[in-house]
Amino acid sequence: MMISGGRGGKSAPSASSSPSVSSTTTSWAVSASGKRIQREMAELNLDPPPDCSAGPKGDNLYHWVATILGPQGTPYEGGIYFLDITFPSDYPFKPPKVVFKTRIFHCNVDTAGVLSLDILKDSWSPALTITKVLLAIRAIFTNPDPSDNPIIPGIARLYLADRAKHDELAAEWTRRFAK
Amino acid sequence: MEDPNTHDNVDSEKISESFLCCVCLELLYKPVVLSCGHISCFWCVHKSMDILHESHCPICRHPYNHFPTICQMLHLLLLKEYPIAYKRRENQILEEEKETGIFSPQFNSQAYNHGGDPASLSIMDFESKSPSDSLSTRKGEPYANLELLNSDSQVQDDGVCALIEIRNGNSEVIGNVSLKENTSKQVSVSDVLCLACKQLLLRPVVLNCGHVYCESCIIIPAGEMLKCQVCQTLHPRGFPKVCLELDHYLEQNFPKEYVLRRDAVQLKQVDFERSTESCKQGKNPPCLAEPHLNAHIAVGCDSCGIIPIIGDRYKCKDCVEKIGFDLCGDCYNTCSKLPGRFNQQHTPEHKFELVRPNFGSSRFRLVTVQLGDNSTSFLVGTYASEDSENGSPRPALPSDAQENADSSSAAIVASTDGGEDQTGSQSTS
Repeated sequence: MMISGGRGGKSAPSASSSPSVSSTTTSWAVSASGKRIQREMAELNLDPPPDCSAGPKGDNLYHWVATILGPQGTPYEGGIYFLDITFPSDYPFKPPKVVFKTRIFHCNVDTAGVLSLDILKDSWSPALTITKVLLAIRAIFTNPDPSDNPIIPGIARLYLADRAKHDELAAEWTRRFAK
Repeated sequence: MEDPNTHDNVDSEKISESFLCCVCLELLYKPVVLSCGHISCFWCVHKSMDILHESHCPICRHPYNHFPTICQMLHLLLLKEYPIAYKRRENQILEEEKETGIFSPQFNSQAYNHGGDPASLSIMDFESKSPSDSLSTRKGEPYANLELLNSDSQVQDDGVCALIEIRNGNSEVIGNVSLKENTSKQVSVSDVLCLACKQLLLRPVVLNCGHVYCESCIIIPAGEMLKCQVCQTLHPRGFPKVCLELDHYLEQNFPKEYVLRRDAVQLKQVDFERSTESCKQGKNPPCLAEPHLNAHIAVGCDSCGIIPIIGDRYKCKDCVEKIGFDLCGDCYNTCSKLPGRFNQQHTPEHKFELVRPNFGSSRFRLVTVQLGDNSTSFLVGTYASEDSENGSPRPALPSDAQENADSSSAAIVASTDGGEDQTGSQSTS
């Protein structure tokens, strides 16, 4: 038997472009991933995770926009963070692409808004959903991960060395960019 | 969890969360149970398996190498429990399969698919063994209702009838199989029996072959591999974990019987020592955390289900299905007679060709992908550009690449092809 290869790891080239632009997308893949995304949408509306919201940007089911409110007790409190979510055509076998649209002072988010979150990369599992991804992102607001995969080493060092200074800067950025 | 948009006609059937697939989030269809006890749909597991490394359970990340066979007991249970939703799932999956041209195992499907009788139910053969059986399920065969009934087959057990076709109104019963009424939709204890003790399943475990036993009924002779008592298939990866979703279902639906069974087994278990350690792990391939040099990327064994095949690969020359039919060295040598994992019409008369693992080709494809579209090396660059010229932006699409790799010199062929194309176009321009 041949395996079409879902989590083909490195050998499967990223056919992860969204269906609207990709010509290689077969319709069955779209229908299967589309159904799954619709289900997630229904689930999100029914039981949204705390401080989070998400939904399609326009007509395209594969482009979502999400918001996360900065959790209380963190320097991000009071900020509203917008994220762009793009689903690949072979979702959920490939992770969605999540990018911060709001600037944030955080050691796991780079200047382009790209997150260094393991579950959005190698540790992705098809059993994960957008709800769980949003919760994971909300968790790194509370607990940044400066040791494993800091995408901005400078902020990670500051976080470890001088937490007060880090929080002050992060709060400053929240005021400037996220309100 | 119910989606009002897509579920308007299934409102009567409240689907238990236990039976929602964790991958597609819909009712499980043709369920397979991984050795960690988690259930997913046939296609969902197939699509989420890693073509290069060992695979991991979507829920618990438990590693596994073998694609399990569909658990037909669960399949029948779901069919009885949620006839409308299950039928809807069947149609939905069939549409997808028609588009891809690759079909999951078809159990007595003609009447179901082409009959057009909405009330018709089909219950498929529990373990179709003989080649004539698999022939009878050939797709596109002139629609005849002649399903072979192997009621005399050695592997049949009492609880499970052979092919029974229930067609509303004009019931056609061939052979000596009793006719079941359409009204007997309620799941009864007889649907959820252990294949060994013939009693209600208690803490059920599902083997790689799809057969279900009580945890306490699994006996592993010291130093040997776990073997299914029905089909004699070896179960890889040691002792399987209990399928808890099924266990909860049984406890809820048959509370009295369940408690009786539990008490009885507990009495027996005073000196019952579960010896998982003594269970040989068997022919587990060496650690697949890193790509194995002898791996046949994206090719699985149709007998034991291992993906990818490590070492020798035997490819059937006579199976015409798109999915192909392959055996790993071990299964080829033990003359496995199991039917394919899909709807291949493989028969023992078919001839195999040996495909050796090709270090070069796998290396080559790895390199192509790692370097991506940019040409750090000439070889890779030409290959990639050739592909994009042909209008396929996915250079190393695994199945395609594997097709090439059937000739053992895929790497060289591909690269020289690319080079020739380039020179050709240069000379003409």
